[in-house]
Amino acid sequence: MVSGVEVDTIAALSTAPGVSAIAVVRISGPRAAAVLARVAPGLEPVPPREACVAAIIDPVTNETIEQAVVTQYPAPASYTGEDVVEISGHGGWLGPALVLDACLAGGARLAEAGEFTRRAYLNGRMDLLQAEAVVDLIEGRSQALRRMALRQLDRGLSERVAALRASLLGLEALLVHHIDFPEEDDAPIPVTHIAERADELSNSLAALLETAAEGELLREGALVVLAGRPNSGKSSLYNALLGQERAIVTEVPGTTRDALEAAVSLGGFPFRLVDTAGLRETDDRVERMGVNVARRYLAAADVVLLCVEGTRTLGTDERDFVRDTGVPVVVVRTKADLDVTAVHSGRLEIARDRALATGGTGGPEDACATLSVSALAGDGLGELRALLPRLVYRGLLGTGADSPVLTRARQARAVGRALSEVRSFAAALRKGAGPEIAAAHLRVTESALEELVGVITGEEVLDRVFAEFCIGK
Amino acid sequence: MSDRALRCDVAVIGGGHAGVEAAAASARLGCDTILLTPDLSRVGQMSCNPAIGGVAKGIVAREIDALGGVMGRATDATRIHFRMLNRSKGPAVWGPRAQCDRALYPIAVRRILDELSDLHLVQETATALVMGDGRVVGVRGRSGLTVQAAAVVVTAGTFLRGRIHMGGEAGVEAGRAGEAASVELAHTLAECLEVSRFKTGTPPRVDGRTVDFTRLERQDGEPGDYRFSTYVCESIPEQRPCWITWAGAELKKVVRRNLERSALYGGEISGRGPRYCPSIEDKVVRFPNAPRHQVFLEPEGLGTSELYVNGLSTSLPGDVQVEFIRAVPGLEDARITRMGYAIEYDYFPPHQLRHTLEARRVAGLFLAGQVNGTTGYEEAAGQGIVAGINAALTVQGREALVIRRDQAYLGVLIDDLVTRGVDEPYRLFTSRAEFRLLLRQDNAVRRLGPVARSLNLLTSSQNRILAARLQREDDVIEWFHNTTVSAQRAGPVLESAGYTLPSNSMRAVDLARRPGVDLAELARVGGAPFDVETNAEALAAVEIEIRYQGYVRRERERAERLQAQEGFELPSGLPYESFKSLSTEARQKLARIRPSTLGQAGRIPGISPSDLQNLVLEVRRHARGRSEPRAEVAMPPAVQA
Ligand SMILES: Cc1cc2nc3c(=O)[nH]c(=O)nc-3n(C[C@H](O)[C@H](O)[C@H](O)COP(=O)(O)OP(=O)(O)OC[C@H]3O[C@@H](n4cnc5c(N)ncnc54)[C@H](O)[C@@H]3O)c2cc1C
Ligand SMILES: Nc1nc2c(ncn2[C@@H]2O[C@H](COP(=O)(O)OP(=O)(O)OP(=O)(O)O)[C@@H](O)[C@H]2O)c(=O)[nH]1
Ligand SMILES: [Mg+2]
Repeated sequence: MVSGVEVDTIAALSTAPGVSAIAVVRISGPRAAAVLARVAPGLEPVPPREACVAAIIDPVTNETIEQAVVTQYPAPASYTGEDVVEISGHGGWLGPALVLDACLAGGARLAEAGEFTRRAYLNGRMDLLQAEAVVDLIEGRSQALRRMALRQLDRGLSERVAALRASLLGLEALLVHHIDFPEEDDAPIPVTHIAERADELSNSLAALLETAAEGELLREGALVVLAGRPNSGKSSLYNALLGQERAIVTEVPGTTRDALEAAVSLGGFPFRLVDTAGLRETDDRVERMGVNVARRYLAAADVVLLCVEGTRTLGTDERDFVRDTGVPVVVVRTKADLDVTAVHSGRLEIARDRALATGGTGGPEDACATLSVSALAGDGLGELRALLPRLVYRGLLGTGADSPVLTRARQARAVGRALSEVRSFAAALRKGAGPEIAAAHLRVTESALEELVGVITGEEVLDRVFAEFCIGK
Repeated sequence: MSDRALRCDVAVIGGGHAGVEAAAASARLGCDTILLTPDLSRVGQMSCNPAIGGVAKGIVAREIDALGGVMGRATDATRIHFRMLNRSKGPAVWGPRAQCDRALYPIAVRRILDELSDLHLVQETATALVMGDGRVVGVRGRSGLTVQAAAVVVTAGTFLRGRIHMGGEAGVEAGRAGEAASVELAHTLAECLEVSRFKTGTPPRVDGRTVDFTRLERQDGEPGDYRFSTYVCESIPEQRPCWITWAGAELKKVVRRNLERSALYGGEISGRGPRYCPSIEDKVVRFPNAPRHQVFLEPEGLGTSELYVNGLSTSLPGDVQVEFIRAVPGLEDARITRMGYAIEYDYFPPHQLRHTLEARRVAGLFLAGQVNGTTGYEEAAGQGIVAGINAALTVQGREALVIRRDQAYLGVLIDDLVTRGVDEPYRLFTSRAEFRLLLRQDNAVRRLGPVARSLNLLTSSQNRILAARLQREDDVIEWFHNTTVSAQRAGPVLESAGYTLPSNSMRAVDLARRPGVDLAELARVGGAPFDVETNAEALAAVEIEIRYQGYVRRERERAERLQAQEGFELPSGLPYESFKSLSTEARQKLARIRPSTLGQAGRIPGISPSDLQNLVLEVRRHARGRSEPRAEVAMPPAVQA
């Protein structure tokens, strides 16, 4: 059975991610207005096509995410021919993603590549040639992206998925045999045996799910945030890692006032590098806002590069920061060229104190690395470039190239849902709930995995039953 | 057509299980109905194993009964062995199965048909359809009889160009052992319908007086008077046991040695057979390592010692059958009374039908039973009753009956046939239903009784029985919800299910939620005002609803979502070929099958969710393009997945 074929409401970022100064999230479909009402509850009624400012909130946490400009285009005079809402907010990487996420939580579905255009075509807003050109463009770009970052890493997922499918089919077949063929040559299959097979399936689902976090990073790029006191050399390091002068560098502390973001590939892995305003108490309103932005980035970071000038001893605030940050922190000793005594330039030290302080296992994931770098002379940059992938993509570096990875949040959600249903399936069987009840869980498992493994039809299950068991008289 | 033609509203060709139900339903709806069949003493004849019901099939038998059908009553009146299959599992998958007296069954059927004043039985072989204006207007018979009819239901079973095989010979033309095949009728039908071929088989029977029962395992039926029929209380005959033995290495050796003499393996038969009714040849070839195969010896009737050898269906020649029977423990000295055989026959791939079972291309022509590529009495009877009802409703100019998938196995059966087609003889399994928990034997009457009542299929006394029965169930449900049982009284019931004593009194419904608690006992100790014995089915229904509340709710929600999709109609004549946003495969399949709703489109194999999504948009666009500027087409209510 196929579920949910109504025209649903979709949302997506309609500007290139991370590049433009303004990011537009577009919502299209019959529930566009309803989604808007969830993410902008304070919005007064506005005439169509008239822009107005609204606070965008996360409907789950009720936290305000963004002050954005909202415009509504009712059907049919819209890009897609459906009800459309556009939310324009600040550019960059994090803000738009949060807005989009809020829209999804508010009831929209993430649009697939080319879906807006397809709807526009189907609703008569675009001719076929135009539509195809747009879709080509979109797909062309995403393919290039995939080639760039995922070329070697997505391989193997299909094998794993095929195995999942087979094991799901096998489970269904056992159950069907159990229910529909109670009096056959093969004695009834003990439900404990069926439950054990279900456990095997949950194990593979769990293993697959574990790759999801890194898979998501692979797709989006791991977020590396440069932090530190003003004038500590963050922007210089940022430019050096990017290989181009993107951030303004001056000797005046407090130069950087807003976050800057750029994509970079290090050791073949995708990263999003963010330069932030130096962290300090300040009376300057603009700078204070910049500091707040920096804090938000820090909360979302996958790795933090804490820039500390030369051999200066770490302040208590910096020590606290290292201790309290949940993700790997690299203490970058900047301006190594200035410090003649910095003989340890380029040498990496893994300090165990953080691990001990946080009760971790003491492995590299708990560690805080210290590295001396000169953005000017280039010393230590190579080590830093090599270190970052190891901190973030640890699991992927360890498993070979053909190990499968879930790269989409959607896939991960589906696998997570399937996993919990398979577990309920086995639990129901063990509690003696009856195979027909357990079967209900298996059905949900199948529909959760449908996108990943394809539809499993009743006919296929029967094929499997007849192939495996001698049935019938 | 000549003036001397018999006239009627609905003519039914064939007096098998499909034909009987079609004719009876049409007559009950008040249509003048004529049933034509070559031998009136074989009306409702059981061609193969004289057993009705089983897992899924037993539920269908009850659904047919709920619609006022014949099968349930005839089974109750002639059953000589009964068991509830899957009794140890949840009530949702219980399958009532009865072994009937082969000789008495047709007599019971005939008696039930004779209650219908609008039904006229005629012993006659149909040889052709009479056509006029592109529709069916009558039937011509072998004796020169012509029947003029507004609708015709064809239910000729395995008889259309039927060919029987026993061993590697070319086979003989026959509809069943000893009965003539229908060749002329097959040819006229082939002029307007696409035809294909299937095969099936039957095992030998043995003389019970020559069986050594001491070597067999005896299997008694369940005591009690379980009835398939809700509306009429037939009296149940004396019961007989079945016997179980196992065919092992000896028999397999005989079969293997003679394999090339089998019609199936000698390449004589081209049609495809059902995998779930494999011949012994099939079993030996496909499962060479299976140590043994189960064989049930089932009584053929009270007045005969013959036993049906269930499990040894074959197309091997007679001498081999004599030899392999002797290789079965307990049958060493057994004498065969009838040989097993295989039969191949014409059927009409059912994608040619509408959900009403009317042929798309020929107005007034309805098809039901084995001719639609199914196998089994219940499957045949179920289609028969739906075809008969719809033939009558068409003649009366009333709205057709289409049973939904979440409403009955009958809905699943017909929708599967029409939407997915068949590539082997189709049989029902519970796994074919997506709403297993909703479609149960105990609630068939609740599901379909009201349908029967609103169509006017029931007599006034049956209507009264229906109302009383539904009321009793409501009372039972209400009692459980509104009664508190003291700890002292509930104690023993809970203890015997392995629970500790509750500290204070609890609502019956909350006690009933615990797995293992016996609801009947609970009702007894709680002082329920209803009789526990006669309300066993109501109790089962309550048990399901209470214990599986969350699951049942989930299925209902899914069913509602499905209905929303069913509500989105696909106009006939949509230019599927021009819907460029659909995959090529989807376009071709939609153009061929021409589903009538979005839900049906979704069940066509090979049509993906994104095809469906695009289909909705294409249909809306198409509608807009044709009507005046941008008129919105009604959409099903949006349902969140
Ligand atoms: C040898 C054999 C083995 C089978 N094995 C199995 C099995 O293993 N499992 C299983 O589930 N089912 C089996 N069946 C199938 C089962 O018998 C059928 O599914 C069921 O009987 C079909 O019902 P029906 O009403 O469609 O056709 P039938 O019961 O075949 O009835 C057809 C009726 O049409 C009449 N008729 C035929 N031609 C004409 C005509 N020209 N004019 C008027 N009347 C006509 C016949 O006389 C008969 O009364 C077997 C059948 C046979 C013959
Ligand atoms: N010699 C030397 N000077 C450096 C190096 N890195 C930064 N500087 C100097 O340090 C000063 C501050 O550098 P920035 O990169 O702007 O520092 P920042 O941390 O971004 O400062 P704010 O944005 O104000 O917080 C500038 O004058 C730089 O030229 C280095 O590796 N070597
Ligand atoms: Mg700076």
